[in-house]
Amino acid sequence: MVALTPTAGAGGLAETQTGGPATSSRRRRRPGIGRGLVLLICGIYFIGPLVGAFWFSIQDKVHGGVQFSAYAHVFSAVGFSDAFMLSLKLGIGTVLISLLLMVPTMLLLHLRAPKFRPVVETLCLMPLVIPPVVLVAGVGVVLAWGPNQLAGTPLQTFLNAIQSGKTPWVLILEYVVLTLPFTYRSLDAGIRSVDIHTLTEAGLNLGAGWGTVTMRILLPSLRTSVLNAAFLSFALVFGEYTVASILQYQPFAVFIVAAGQTEGQLSTSLSLLSLLITWLLLLLISLLGGRNSTKVDI
Amino acid sequence: MTAQSRAGSSSEWSPARPTADPGQVHELADGSAPIVTLKRRRSYAWLGLTPFFLYIAAFFILPTGTVLFSAFRKTDAGTGVTSFTGSNVSSALHGVYFTGIKNSLTLALITGVVGALVGLVLAWAIVSSTGNVLTRFVSTAAAVLANFGGVPLAFLFIATVGNSGLLTKALADHFHINLNSDLHFDLYGITGLELVYLYFQIPLMVLVITPALEGLKPQWQEAAANLGATRWQYWRHVGAPILAPNVLGAALLLFCSGFSAYATADALTSGAFPLIPLQIHAVISGNVLAGMENLGDALALIMVVIVVPLMVIYQLLQRRTTRWLR
Amino acid sequence: MSSIALESLDTGTGTTVEFADVHRVFGSTHALDGLDLKVRPGELLALLGPSGCGKTTALRLLAGFDQPDAGSVLVDGEDVSRLPANKRDMGMVFQSYSLFPTMSAVDNVAFGLRLRGRGAGDRRKRAAELLDLVGLSEHLKKFPHQMSGGQQQRVALARALAISPRVLLLDEPLSALDAKVRAQLRDEIRRIQLELGVTTVFVTHDQEEALSMADRVGVMRNGRLEQCAAPAELYQRPETPFVAEFVGTMNRLPGSMVPGGVRLFTQVVAVDGVVPPAGSDVRALLRPEAVLVEPAGGQPGDAIVTTATFFGAVTRLRMTQPDGQEILADVGSHRAADFPAGAQVRISVLDRPVLVRPESEATAGTVPGRA
Ligand SMILES: Nc1ncnc2c1ncn2[C@@H]1O[C@H](COP(=O)(O)OP(=O)(O)OP(=O)(O)O)[C@@H](O)[C@H]1O
Ligand SMILES: [Mg+2]
Repeated sequence: MVALTPTAGAGGLAETQTGGPATSSRRRRRPGIGRGLVLLICGIYFIGPLVGAFWFSIQDKVHGGVQFSAYAHVFSAVGFSDAFMLSLKLGIGTVLISLLLMVPTMLLLHLRAPKFRPVVETLCLMPLVIPPVVLVAGVGVVLAWGPNQLAGTPLQTFLNAIQSGKTPWVLILEYVVLTLPFTYRSLDAGIRSVDIHTLTEAGLNLGAGWGTVTMRILLPSLRTSVLNAAFLSFALVFGEYTVASILQYQPFAVFIVAAGQTEGQLSTSLSLLSLLITWLLLLLISLLGGRNSTKVDI
Repeated sequence: MTAQSRAGSSSEWSPARPTADPGQVHELADGSAPIVTLKRRRSYAWLGLTPFFLYIAAFFILPTGTVLFSAFRKTDAGTGVTSFTGSNVSSALHGVYFTGIKNSLTLALITGVVGALVGLVLAWAIVSSTGNVLTRFVSTAAAVLANFGGVPLAFLFIATVGNSGLLTKALADHFHINLNSDLHFDLYGITGLELVYLYFQIPLMVLVITPALEGLKPQWQEAAANLGATRWQYWRHVGAPILAPNVLGAALLLFCSGFSAYATADALTSGAFPLIPLQIHAVISGNVLAGMENLGDALALIMVVIVVPLMVIYQLLQRRTTRWLR
Repeated sequence: MSSIALESLDTGTGTTVEFADVHRVFGSTHALDGLDLKVRPGELLALLGPSGCGKTTALRLLAGFDQPDAGSVLVDGEDVSRLPANKRDMGMVFQSYSLFPTMSAVDNVAFGLRLRGRGAGDRRKRAAELLDLVGLSEHLKKFPHQMSGGQQQRVALARALAISPRVLLLDEPLSALDAKVRAQLRDEIRRIQLELGVTTVFVTHDQEEALSMADRVGVMRNGRLEQCAAPAELYQRPETPFVAEFVGTMNRLPGSMVPGGVRLFTQVVAVDGVVPPAGSDVRALLRPEAVLVEPAGGQPGDAIVTTATFFGAVTRLRMTQPDGQEILADVGSHRAADFPAGAQVRISVLDRPVLVRPESEATAGTVPGRA
């Protein structure tokens, strides 16, 4: 067999062997040729479009050379501030509602109703399984009941209210659903890592009431995971395109696409900026939250 | 937006801890009767979960269920009577929609398989060669591309290899190579979609498979070497079988992610390329023939029928391997 | 049954292992700092030492998972320092079992044979024999996650033996197991090792394990060998203060040299080994079982009992002398009631030659012994 032929075995520990007596760091440190090649090719593939897009966004098409007007004039672009404000509103609304809904639910689930955990977990992860386009198709059908089957009922008023007006509540309500998996995972990991049972027990034994325990003990110890959940939800909403564009609203992501029809440089620069900002924030949170949070939640 | 959350979702449901029921401890300390406490708590806990269940029912189950239901409904244009029918689904499986399904499946399959393979190799290269800080850089970057990529990815590629993209022009100006006619590359066609999809599929694979690679114990390699295995034999007999369920599961996940993706394709092709998600949009935004109102729902049903079983298998595979890797 | 296994397991007696001035440096840590050690053919040598003293490093160098920075590792007189692990024919049992999770017990054991090109039927038969040898004939088809820690470790042992290794290496194979399984498996490893006559290096930081199993025990400290000797010799005649403290428990009683021996309490006891000049102050090294106690019977004694710790058959008394010196003694537990805390006791020592150290080196660089 191969193992017994003299040449075949050489690959096995060749690396360690060549480490030699002088090296104090052993194994893994010497990147093999294969590994280097893989990193190089993938590096080109992933960095290439970023560099290309950046270069594209600063080209001066009229005079040649370089100019940064696509970045400088972002805020004065027609429709940008509306779209940006809308996304901001959607993001904040989604984060607030989903935390309001999920923090008590998760605490309750871990402290008082653990037998519901499988059900809740499955439900929370379902939005990852069902394609958003399917969800939004369903939302469309339900919204259409307003002027038809539900005409004249209070439900019609409700359906109207969430679609029109300054804030498209229907988006926020559905975004909460789309962000559920992230919120669930973050909070779940956070709750597991601090052992809320012991904390709660300790608090209660010391004579604190339930309210005090929740506000003074549980929430502070879940700070990182709540922050994490909030950020992930916000990032998701800010980049969300499918639901908003099909329901004909124009938040940030939809604006980028619309602008792309006429102002390629603007869309490109906005795309780059949004990727970069999301990444930096995520990096920050991962550094803040320690190793655990990136691994479990992202 | 997908896997990572799921990657950790292994079956760690620890059983309820009977002793650690703080409420009960408290009540007992107060001196009230424990049995009464237990009853009251139980109903209270259930009540506390109702907002969640109501919310999910109203804003997730109702819309999704409606789609699946109305996929089988049809309103007769003449009489206005609505009845059950299979005709929506059958139309959704023919003609241009059949092409859409076929394209979506092809795109998902190719980017799923290629993404899984390249992602696996890349994840291995990262896991085996970088330090802690770099790993964190790469993992967060992968998270951004896999989860929040969407629209921006399309524009990165349009700017680089689109019709007036930087590389397109550079090739044409300096080398007289036309991407389209000489290299048969069309960013707005299936080749372009594949290239762009890989930009989020590969990071998704890296994200999902890295924990599995990190879970490979170095002692397995040492034990194998000790018994006489070469590096290749170790991978073949030990490493690969351990990773296989994970890799397969991850590939399924990638398939679903490619199959469901909407934003990138829409932004790239302005909704023109025949893919199911784009067609659903076209159908439900109203420009359809009379009597075809529920066609979009039928298309949605087809997507669900394809995606859900695969995701269930993915879950099962994940669960199977977690016990090996920790 | 095991006789069948024995026949097919001719390991060829007579493999020797030698570490010759081996150095291994990790950054600023000298994990091995000139290790010299010879393992005789067919013996079970236990490597004992405090955590971080380089035991695992030594074993990994021998297995070929790592290379020495200087010096050489010789097997049967041949330098194997640069031979890759998969060519060394050494069977290793890891602390964490590290069975292959996708293979059943039988397949795990047969893996090494498979790599050696043995036919399927042949290797299954042999794997079954080996599993029988370690007492697992009922569990051939089980997967690692279906077995207890003790069972997994037995499979790991069978897997290492299956390739008829020249040397068997065990790195704290029992430390993850509970006390009872540990004792049982310890006996089993020793029995099998004796049956097969395979040269074995057994790493542990549990002195009881080392002393009870090994032909010889090598005590390591800071990457060097302090002493390598048979268990009884190591226990009774430790060559360095470190060994004295580390192996078993040792009293270091102050005494002075007089003609004919060392004066301890009212006795004069003969000295073992080098005799310091008369008149010098020394420390006598005495095991707790060599310290004899009697109730003082109401009069002031030599020391006061501070604690009594029950160890089963014996009870260990910790006593304080008027000058603050602590002294430990073992008494049969049936006598423990005579020595409650606070009791005055009279002390004498067993009349047999004792080891003494000059006062100056008595406390140098020792670590607390373990009870
Ligand atoms: N790969 C490594 N990189 C850096 N330092 C190491 C490495 N391996 C071992 N060391 C250091 O070398 C020294 C000896 O380690 P070794 O594992 O041999 O100790 P040990 O005697 O087996 O201890 P234990 O009883 O705790 O297992 C320790 O200080 C350890 O920190
Ligand atoms: Mg060790």
